[in-house]
Amino acid sequence: MRGFERRDGMAVALLDEEERLVVARIVADVALLLGAESFGRDGASEADPASDIDDPFAHLRGLEESIREPSDPAILRLLPNAAPTDREVAAEFRRLTDGELRAIKTRRLRRIWDQLSTGDDEWVVPADAALETAAALTDVRLVLSSRLGLVTDDDADRLHAEIDLASHALATDDDNMLSVDPERVWLGMLYQALTWLQDTLVEFVAEQE
Amino acid sequence: MDIERQSQHEGSVATVLDDVWVTIVWNDPVNLMSYVTQVFQTYFNLPREVAARHMREVHVNGRSVLSSGPREKMEVDVQAMHSYGLWATLQRSGE
Repeated sequence: MRGFERRDGMAVALLDEEERLVVARIVADVALLLGAESFGRDGASEADPASDIDDPFAHLRGLEESIREPSDPAILRLLPNAAPTDREVAAEFRRLTDGELRAIKTRRLRRIWDQLSTGDDEWVVPADAALETAAALTDVRLVLSSRLGLVTDDDADRLHAEIDLASHALATDDDNMLSVDPERVWLGMLYQALTWLQDTLVEFVAEQE
Repeated sequence: MDIERQSQHEGSVATVLDDVWVTIVWNDPVNLMSYVTQVFQTYFNLPREVAARHMREVHVNGRSVLSSGPREKMEVDVQAMHSYGLWATLQRSGE
């Protein structure tokens, strides 16, 4: 994997086939959480139908109806409470914005999925889509962080330490590796990789100014 | 929409003017400082250093007030922040 670099005014990263599949898959999964239809013909449709997906058709119903707050904490991170101390203001905000926010976020995720599905190792992001692509990467990282239980800055620091430990154990065949939850390490490494990719993309945007 | 509030405040210009709302952005452990700065700079059209000051305020104090005005405008700003994955809230100024 190579982070985003500027080329002909566009941001270009390099991801091998496996990396592209992993990123495309998580992007499609987040879109599913937001109530979008499955992006791909494969992979994304494997989502557990019993999983806690909020009413995917909520945004299609009349705007008069109030919309419940998402019960899945990951979705709540994507569509947070806009007025925690005022139920009426929060409900009104959700009623006005929920559908549009889901649509905006889904569209940005879909664009990444398309860009990663060209069969090419290069992930090319046009300059005018760079910040929106960084926003979509934030959404993916918000979902991962929720699954990883990152609530405070300290939690994030601890995760980095855990992964360092796990990588070290992996490299040295240390038996301590057994004490680390492999799924957590895998999600954590994906989180870190996306953080790094986003950072290089934001750097590209900042240089544009 | 706010007929009740308007009629309540009718004739009292000072009170109407006082009905100022604010957009607050809160700290979270996910968003990168460079990204938060860039979003503030782009969306609120702030000079780089002002955007960075708000970002540091979020990071250090846990929150920063990014805009103020009528409730409807704050709803637009908060929605934009949510579209960028930042946790923003709106409330009456001074609450």
